[in-house]
Amino acid sequence: MAEPDSSNPGDGVDFARLSQDLYAQWESAVTAWWDTVLDSPDVLRASGDALGRLARARKQYEQAVDDNLTRLHLPTRSDLVRLTRIATLLEHRLVRFEDQLLEMQDKLAALEREALQARVDAAEARLEHREEMAALQARLDALQERIDALEQSATRPARRRRRKADDSDTDTRDGDQR
Amino acid sequence: MTADPTHTGALRALLADGRKAWELARFLASDPVRRAPTGRTPHRVIHRQNKAVVRYFAPDPDGVPATPLFISMPLINTWTVFDLLPDRSVVASLVRHGVPVYLLDWGRPGPEDAAVSMSDLVDDLLPRAVDRSLRHAATHHGADALDGLGYCVGGTFLAISLARHPDMLRRMALLASPIDFHASGRLATWARPETFPLDDIVDGFGNFPRQLMAASFAWLRPAGQIARGRSLWTRGSDPAFRRLWAAMEQWNGDNVDFPGEAYREYVRHCYFDNALVPGGPEWIMAGRPVDLGRGRAPAVAFAASDDHICPPPAAFGLARAWGGPVRTEVLRGGHVGVCIGRALPAALARWVDSGRGGEAPQP
Repeated sequence: MAEPDSSNPGDGVDFARLSQDLYAQWESAVTAWWDTVLDSPDVLRASGDALGRLARARKQYEQAVDDNLTRLHLPTRSDLVRLTRIATLLEHRLVRFEDQLLEMQDKLAALEREALQARVDAAEARLEHREEMAALQARLDALQERIDALEQSATRPARRRRRKADDSDTDTRDGDQR
Repeated sequence: MTADPTHTGALRALLADGRKAWELARFLASDPVRRAPTGRTPHRVIHRQNKAVVRYFAPDPDGVPATPLFISMPLINTWTVFDLLPDRSVVASLVRHGVPVYLLDWGRPGPEDAAVSMSDLVDDLLPRAVDRSLRHAATHHGADALDGLGYCVGGTFLAISLARHPDMLRRMALLASPIDFHASGRLATWARPETFPLDDIVDGFGNFPRQLMAASFAWLRPAGQIARGRSLWTRGSDPAFRRLWAAMEQWNGDNVDFPGEAYREYVRHCYFDNALVPGGPEWIMAGRPVDLGRGRAPAVAFAASDDHICPPPAAFGLARAWGGPVRTEVLRGGHVGVCIGRALPAALARWVDSGRGGEAPQP
């Protein structure tokens, strides 16, 4: 009987690595091929033409469907689109109103801030006036005190003089009587 | 090399693969993509206009108070990419950092919005959303200004809007937002006037259909579709990865229509003309030129290193176009991967911290 073949060609081969390598080779080959196809002006022109024809055909088809539905007095797709567009435009108008409201709100807030500032300024000014008035009053009081003091000091010698004069009058009368 | 005459190793590997396949089949059968819990960070809507809403995320009371942040999301996907999972959420990381977040979710335009123009978006809807956010922030956080963050097209729109309304925001950060559109790789190659039937598409479809949007993003990297499936196979035994995979798939499959007239203007002026960078043709919007040079706010442009939708040169076009000081920074990741990676929350935290304290704002 023959010995079993111990050097099997599949033994020890890393299949995972092999499949990875094969995949990488396949991917780079396919990518290179696709690159030439997808960047080719002829392919791009042909696919562009096809896309353009498809778009035109779709437009014609939609037009035909719309015409048929119109003949049957049924709403068409473009009718619905128009209606939805109107709703969208209405919503847009509402949003613009909201913009204006917000702007007005901003302006009102600014005015309110200004009015508040003016009131604060006025109150501060009033306080300042009050302080100035109080200072003036204090000066006036001080002046009044000084005037009073002066008056007092002025009246005291006069009284003394009067008293002296009174005293001398009394002496003279006494002398006369005597 | 050891001989394995019974091939037990190979059999064991086969069995393990079988088990893995069974586990993944059970996972996929449980409808994980639909049930992925995205957008779960607590928030409330503070303003609505048409389909757009502003979502307010209150800051963590334990965080250090910071200037409130207004986020402009892209119009082409849902906002949940910034709140994919509790541990992979940009908004959650920001509120933990003490930042009150106001996120503009543009909603899902319907056929009635086909006439919405670029001016409607950048001169009306976006400034109003910022105004309402600022009013809310003033009342609840005593703020007198907002910082702004825009992702992808949302960032491009934010930059245009801020250049036209310079007092709207204090500072601006753009994440993977194209400004130099002719540097935006394959998308720029595809969006050329001679090959891209822009008018036919807008006239025919009204809005730019989300299915076309999804298909065009898928075809940017055809092998990427297989890579996503393969990543589930190779890493699917990790429950955390499976949750993330399901959330990403949900977000990826949830594209949004782009309002037709706005799309026409956007592609014509940005992709065809590259009008946002100096030297491009003049873009007159609602009677006023679009000139990013009029923007004065300090700005930072974050780009993702492996971004195939907005490569770094496209994002860094801001440095040439913007009128104010601009800082640029590259973060590791792809266009979407950067939102779920660890680099972005850290970079945003640094940016937020640089604006604290009331000193002159830095980019």
